[in-house]
Amino acid sequence: MFQSFIGLEIHIQLLTETKVFCGCKASFGDEPNTNICPVCMGYPGVLPALNEEAIRMAYVVAMALNCEPNEYAIFERKNYFYPDLPKNYQISQFRSPVGRNGYLDLEYRQQKKRVRIREVHLEEDAGKMIHAGDISLLDFNRAGTPLLEIVTMPDLEVGEEAEAFLQNFRRIVRYLGVCDGNMEEGSLRCDANVSVNLRGKGLGSKVEIKNLNSFKFVRKALNFEIERQTEILERGGSVTQETRLWNENRDLTESMRVKESESDYRYFPDPDLPPFRPDENFLKEVKERLVELPEERKKRLMEKYGLSKLQADFICEEKETADFFEETVNMGADPRVAAIWLASDVQKMLNKYQLSISDSPLKAKRFARLLELLSARKIHGKIAKQVLQSIFEENRSPDEIIEKNGWEQITDRSEIRKILKEVADKNPEIVKQIRSGETKPVQYLIGLIMKETAGRVEPGILQEVIREEFAFTLVRVISMGGAITGEVSEDGTILPGDPAKLISRIKEKTSFNGKIKIEEFSVNRILSEEINPEDWAVLISTIANHIQKGDTNGIVIAHGTDTLSYTASLIFWLFPSPGIPIVFTASYQPPATKEDIRGEAFENLSGAISKIATLGEGIYVYLDGKILSPLNLKFERIGTNGFTNWNLEKPVFSAKGMTSYLSTENFSRDTLLGKIREAQERSFIIKVYPGLKGDTLIRLMDAGIRHFILEVYDTGTANLRESPFSLRKAFNVGKERGINFYCTSQQRQNIDFSRYITSHELWKEGAIPMGALTTESVYTRLIASYILSQSEEEIVKIMEDTGAYTGF
Amino acid sequence: MEKREIYTTAYMARLSLNEDEADKLEKAISRMLEYFEKMKEIDVTNLEPTTHALLKNNKLRPDITAENTDTGAILDNAPELEDRFIVTPNVL
Amino acid sequence: MTNWKGITSNDTEYERWKREVSELDEEIKSFIQFDPDLGRKLTDSGRTGREGMLEGIPFAVKDNIAVKSFKLTCGSEILKEFTSTYNATAVEKLIAEGAFVAGKTNLDEFGMGSSTENSAFFNTRNPWNLAVVPGGSSGGSAASVAAGMVPFALGSDTGGSVRQPASFCGVYGLKPTYGSVSRYGLVAYASSLEVIGILAREIDTLERVFETIKGEDVMDQSSLSPDSGESGKEKSGKENRKKTIGIPEELENVDIDSEIRKSMEESLVNFRKSGFDIRKIRIPTLEYVVSAYYVIATAEASANLARFDGIRYGYRDFSAENPEELMLLSREKGFGEEVKLRILLGTYVLRSGFQEQYYIRAQKIRTAIRNDFSRAFKDVDLIMMPVYPRLPFEFENSEMDPFSQKLADIFTCTANLTGLPALSFPISLSSGLPIGMQLMAPPFEERRILEAARLYGNIFPVPIPSRHLGSPIGKGE
Repeated sequence: MFQSFIGLEIHIQLLTETKVFCGCKASFGDEPNTNICPVCMGYPGVLPALNEEAIRMAYVVAMALNCEPNEYAIFERKNYFYPDLPKNYQISQFRSPVGRNGYLDLEYRQQKKRVRIREVHLEEDAGKMIHAGDISLLDFNRAGTPLLEIVTMPDLEVGEEAEAFLQNFRRIVRYLGVCDGNMEEGSLRCDANVSVNLRGKGLGSKVEIKNLNSFKFVRKALNFEIERQTEILERGGSVTQETRLWNENRDLTESMRVKESESDYRYFPDPDLPPFRPDENFLKEVKERLVELPEERKKRLMEKYGLSKLQADFICEEKETADFFEETVNMGADPRVAAIWLASDVQKMLNKYQLSISDSPLKAKRFARLLELLSARKIHGKIAKQVLQSIFEENRSPDEIIEKNGWEQITDRSEIRKILKEVADKNPEIVKQIRSGETKPVQYLIGLIMKETAGRVEPGILQEVIREEFAFTLVRVISMGGAITGEVSEDGTILPGDPAKLISRIKEKTSFNGKIKIEEFSVNRILSEEINPEDWAVLISTIANHIQKGDTNGIVIAHGTDTLSYTASLIFWLFPSPGIPIVFTASYQPPATKEDIRGEAFENLSGAISKIATLGEGIYVYLDGKILSPLNLKFERIGTNGFTNWNLEKPVFSAKGMTSYLSTENFSRDTLLGKIREAQERSFIIKVYPGLKGDTLIRLMDAGIRHFILEVYDTGTANLRESPFSLRKAFNVGKERGINFYCTSQQRQNIDFSRYITSHELWKEGAIPMGALTTESVYTRLIASYILSQSEEEIVKIMEDTGAYTGF
Repeated sequence: MEKREIYTTAYMARLSLNEDEADKLEKAISRMLEYFEKMKEIDVTNLEPTTHALLKNNKLRPDITAENTDTGAILDNAPELEDRFIVTPNVL
Repeated sequence: MTNWKGITSNDTEYERWKREVSELDEEIKSFIQFDPDLGRKLTDSGRTGREGMLEGIPFAVKDNIAVKSFKLTCGSEILKEFTSTYNATAVEKLIAEGAFVAGKTNLDEFGMGSSTENSAFFNTRNPWNLAVVPGGSSGGSAASVAAGMVPFALGSDTGGSVRQPASFCGVYGLKPTYGSVSRYGLVAYASSLEVIGILAREIDTLERVFETIKGEDVMDQSSLSPDSGESGKEKSGKENRKKTIGIPEELENVDIDSEIRKSMEESLVNFRKSGFDIRKIRIPTLEYVVSAYYVIATAEASANLARFDGIRYGYRDFSAENPEELMLLSREKGFGEEVKLRILLGTYVLRSGFQEQYYIRAQKIRTAIRNDFSRAFKDVDLIMMPVYPRLPFEFENSEMDPFSQKLADIFTCTANLTGLPALSFPISLSSGLPIGMQLMAPPFEERRILEAARLYGNIFPVPIPSRHLGSPIGKGE
């Protein structure tokens, strides 16, 4: 087993006004050789003069990376000849840099790691040399601009992880305002050193990789290099210590011949620059500039405001977004609602108008007011979106826009009650029908009221007022088929049946004290095992519709047992915070046919209906008097206690702050169906078994599979030893093709990638551990991710982020 | 000092030397290095190296753009120009 | 210097002075570029209405110090055609006081040498004897002042380059405290050792020029004023008591010309007569100073001279086909032998594997030398040594080959290694050639030295060579 080590050398251009040792403008894209002076051109007789802002920024970064400052920061001359280096030495640091021995914590694919920082030092950049035929053109505008070099210890293992580290680092320097982090323009540059060795044998021969000028190249080049070195070692060869260049056109690293004498830089302290001693005052100043960094801020936003990791990731990507978010929340906005709006509608507007949040017409005050109006139901969601649009178009406050357009709704309950009374008085017949237990006339009554008020009454509040006035709980029962509504044929097999029969019996036999009214809807008369994408699409859209309208106190779903663990978890992932209780129920046996026997189906369904009045919002599974969580549901054996929850420390019924189907744009059933079908076509669940060949997985990839859920042995093990049964090849091919692997366990336990070497190897190969989630819940998470996402990248992000909501 | 070292050192310093020059310089350098051997006599164990003759306070320059320098005069000193670029030959 | 004041206000006098300097300098050859008109234009363009302290006074500038629009050759082929685009801070300050640059003076290439024979262009002759070198590396500056062409000149002192030629030419030469005069505009040879110095025939002139050019400079972060750092501690309280001059015992072990030894003894008698105490002191590290000095100086030089590569300015060999070849050939043809030797030596002592034994060790020895001097200054106010162990020598003197010349830097380079101020002043003439002694003081105590030298000037006035312009105004000093 081989172990790989990656260390990074990162260079960032500091955002100072002037160059590091002279007063020339440090700006880019100007006409060649305009920002030059005798100092940065290495003229005879000139001297460097250290820029106070550059040294301050250097310390800001060093402190942010938890480095120890040296007693003195000493500048040294690094001697080498190159046409773009005016003095033929670079002023840099060597023996006593700004800071040493720091670290940066990284979490990648669920694994936490402390990446040690060897040192942070300040230096000057060189000019630019452009090759043009048999001449080279020199532009010294960049010469002498401040460059900060950050060197990590070889603590990283794979390209993806190095990329994630670099992304984190980029966010930090942007937060600190010291660098814009643009890799394409070279304001953030990265070299790396890679070595591979037998596990436990320490570092191998170090190879330096240069020319990594995008995040993608960092990932690809490092993975290529690890693979290259591993192959050499596997063949019994040894790796040459050298410098290699990433060739982006050929997707490989190439040896770069360097003369040995070239690497002797003959460093010595620069006599022109006195050592810099960071005294207490200076360090105090530096500390004042250490803003809360993105990872800490994410953590805090999640804890303080209940944001999901995904939301926190989005909000904390840019400091200005996070600042805007908190400003809005401080003005009273619901943080989770604000987060959802920011990530979806607000972002869309910003993209459309090519604005950043800080220079958009959407000020935090306006945004907070918009959300306030929405939560007070002064406007409904659709209007809110129009208001947002108008803010961007007209640069006005929400109140002005609503007033101008007459968009305000009637939300005052006493006013609505008054209107209801007036309409009801005129229609005594309808009132009588409703009082007698019928629910259909409710819709008619609503229609009359809407007509009366030109549709200005807030429909949700109206529904609530009606239910209060008539004092009933309205429960929607959705039947998905299965034994609970089925019947037994003459030969004893169970057939799908008509749910209306059972429901009418329940209505007959159970009065619910006249307080519960039932509306029924049948998705399909099928058996559990026959469930297909259309059924899910209908179920999802029906639920969404009721939640949207607010026309029900709760939903009961009668479902078959075989696939209950899939549907229940899917509904949970899509409606993590539905606002009402949604209760799944099932039955192992069809309803009894004899009138006087109530039976299991009867008890479960009527029990579920009666629970609606007492449960809070969430997704529940009600069976045999027990309430189970919709996640990690396992159907273990027929009989009592046939269903259990695996691996849940405490049951999970709802999760605030998760992206919900209700916040997606398109409610069309066809779109939904398309997404579900796509998810199913692209996903494959494989239980890892002895004899499973890597090639099988590759054939599946050829057939279009992009997501593999691997049910691995024990705590995340699988065969990776060189043989046809090794999955490594499949992982490598998958990596090249951007295929995703999610791991669940065949056992009733967590996938813990930190324990076994093979588990760790799986992580290195690119697998995402799904923690304690069962295969079923992971599979439906994948479907939900498809429904909730616009891109594959987003799907993977949601998948990686799943563990946080399961509450263990 | 070995002759080879003269050439390695000369290349590091980007000085090309002909045979005669190399001979002459090697002798002169060897003589100096021999003389430097004297430094071995003195015990330096408890001595910090002096990198800067006198102790100094921190010296910093405010981050303010200096008045425009005459970049034209700087470019006038360049041996070869193309537009505003300084040119070097680079025959492959 | 008062006699020089009117020179710019009287056209006839001015033109005569120019003509006489040009004529005399055909013999002496102290100037690489003599162009007072250009100097006056430069001064006039940078003036406000205020009357300066040095209004209308010409001065010569060693050609390794930048003066805008003047050449800056450093006595080297590689910068033969180079024109400076800016002024050194010291020059700027003198111009601000109304002085003007008369021209740029000859020197050993990049300040590397003790006879000005290492100039790539021509030899400068000693006004006292045309067969004798003027010393170096500021030989042109020293000769121009000694010959009365200008009242003062700027030089640079890395290992004695102001003091030794001053001594050879019989004028005053001040090497101020390291950092007290900005190095901005001084083409670097050995940055941690060198400082711009002043050569003058009158101590008052020298003092006034020093007062003008000293001070911290934002363009030179190694520049200092007495208030910063460790200086100025032992200033007060000693003003009225008897001054003590220390003489290092170790002088006994150095091969010093007997004439010089004799003159030194006489000067000590004179100082005693003038009320000084003379005391022996110990500088045990004296025998290591030349080694430490040359290791450090050449190491720094190897980096400082790397910028001369033919890319951005200076001599370029146009036969080169690629940048590396261009650098190699331009440097090969652009640098003289002594410069190449020092670059090579300096590169070598910095190489990994050798750095510890040479460069780092030399820096530690430098610390020991500094310690010796600060210990000595606890007991004495001034330290006196000869400037040079040899009398001014003739051109191409075989006894004074480049190696022997280096060994002879022993007395001067101590001041550079320690950063201390030192003044060379004439004490006698021997066979028609001047002999100078050197006084050193603690950091920023230039005044203490100047006072002692002024006193001595009453006993032995600065001699005037036969080749001398006399006073430019009214021909009578």
